[in-house]
Amino acid sequence: MTSRRAFLKLTVAAGLAPAVASAQGTGRVVVIGGGFAGATAARTLKALEPRLSVTLVEPNRIFTACPFSNDVLAAIREISQQQFGYDGVVRAGVTLAQTAATAVDAAAKTVTLADGNRLSYDRLVMAPGIDFRWDALPGYDEAAAEKMPHAWKAGAQTVLLRQQLQAMNDGGLVVISSPANPYRCPPGPYERASLIAYWLKIWKPKSKLLILDSKDAFSKQRLFQNAWPQLYPGIVEWVSLSQGGKVTSVDPATLTFVTDFARHKAAVGNVIPPQKAGAIAAQAGVADRTGWCPVEPVAFESTLQPGIHVVGDAAIMGGMPKSAFAANAQAKVCAAAIVELLAGRKPVDPILINTCYSLVAPDYGISIAGVYRPDKGVLADIPGAGGTSPLEVVGGFRSQEALYAESWFKTITAETFG
Amino acid sequence: MRRLLLPVLASALLLASLAEGRPARAVEAPPGASSCTGCHAAQKIPDSVIPHIAGRKAADIATAMREYRSGAWPSSVMGRIAKGFDDSQIDAIAAWFAAQPE
Ligand SMILES: Cc1cc2nc3c(=O)[nH]c(=O)nc-3n(C[C@H](O)[C@H](O)[C@H](O)COP(=O)(O)OP(=O)(O)OC[C@H]3O[C@@H](n4cnc5c(N)ncnc54)[C@H](O)[C@@H]3O)c2cc1C
Repeated sequence: MTSRRAFLKLTVAAGLAPAVASAQGTGRVVVIGGGFAGATAARTLKALEPRLSVTLVEPNRIFTACPFSNDVLAAIREISQQQFGYDGVVRAGVTLAQTAATAVDAAAKTVTLADGNRLSYDRLVMAPGIDFRWDALPGYDEAAAEKMPHAWKAGAQTVLLRQQLQAMNDGGLVVISSPANPYRCPPGPYERASLIAYWLKIWKPKSKLLILDSKDAFSKQRLFQNAWPQLYPGIVEWVSLSQGGKVTSVDPATLTFVTDFARHKAAVGNVIPPQKAGAIAAQAGVADRTGWCPVEPVAFESTLQPGIHVVGDAAIMGGMPKSAFAANAQAKVCAAAIVELLAGRKPVDPILINTCYSLVAPDYGISIAGVYRPDKGVLADIPGAGGTSPLEVVGGFRSQEALYAESWFKTITAETFG
Repeated sequence: MRRLLLPVLASALLLASLAEGRPARAVEAPPGASSCTGCHAAQKIPDSVIPHIAGRKAADIATAMREYRSGAWPSSVMGRIAKGFDDSQIDAIAAWFAAQPE
């Protein structure tokens, strides 16, 4: 309570009129992007300091969540269960600008919107998630994604990939190409392979699934690789980078994946393309040459543009993976730090946690966790903490983790959208 | 007059926000606490198998964290997470959760 009192004393001493004037004067925060990071940041800011004026800029009326969208592909969940509105965000006192941000002027501290309006801010939070690098994989552009879906932003693409799987003949080859690091949800491609294999085993048992990888190692690798032969014998094959797994081009007309060594013609092709921070980040000048956004590890303020904070998948967060859990955790820390900064105080060093569950089958869950703190200018793993589920377990450990996964999804979406 | 009114207004707003199940307040939350609510939310989540810990006794939360950390109590993720926190950090987080409305 001390900080709130101090803030109140400050505004009273300065002779400011209550609530409204101070909110319009020095407490305007604009948040770009209403996903796990942005919606959390906006609601948390209002919860911590109700007198702030907080505007959330998000073009979509309905948000479609990626976590658990692999279940939709396996027809054990419907896309409607992935969808969340912004009523809870508005109820929290956040102003919703239902349009896209088209330009950020870091010097003038303004955000231009697609509807023609312009917003001024004291602090800006950018949480635009990812965009695809359409120039990075020859043959793969937005038109190609209608033939070989990415389904890496959930919604119509997820539904398209599911329809393609359902229309495939038994005995068809499903190919997933997995990108080099960093990208959204490191274990996601392998959870996807697992759940598609689960569905193939039941409905199209003569089919096979091939993962062509641009990496030699991946998140929770041994857990996945132990489970595949056991649960889906003869169905899942993983080709690593050093085995020639890197896809160098695709041909959407024939659903062909080309590597240095082979051409794989798919019945269903899922390209998970190389990624970068949401395009508005580069426009605002907060993305570096990697395409992602460097930030300091306490308030996640851009190291390139003061006054702009970047959270979620768009940011370079040291050891933290690009996950919804991490995005939500970063947003809460960022919101608290912004309240401190606006009150003229220095935010304390945070500790953050990440926990990511993957389903290898609907009743078979595995997890990875980490604990992070600022160290030498980056968010670093706290040594000795974190790690994956054990390789050997007894009893109902895997089914228990599958239950935890489902409860986590209910929790994080309530934490984010209210 | 204004001196009196302002805090009353602010706390009324705060109470209203808590009543509507907004995210846990994090400004005085000790380091780490706001991440915990990614699984242990301030609000009750229907049908969740993850324990709701807001409003529980601080001593119980702190004991559980220590036992997870040492492995005395078996766990799935909690042991791995608890290893990232020392005793004073655990006590601060436990006290904060205990002070949240149940
Ligand atoms: C298949 C799959 C499975 C996954 N599973 C998990 C999981 O089990 N657990 C987990 O923790 N994570 C998981 N993830 C990762 C998770 O989805 C992301 O890490 C998370 O969505 C990141 O949140 P964000 O807020 O940064 O981005 P997003 O959630 O993508 O939100 C970005 C928002 O910004 C908006 N936006 C973009 N540009 C603009 C603009 N110019 N103006 C206004 N708004 C804009 C977008 O419309 C969008 O709503 C998974 C991802 C995938 C693809």
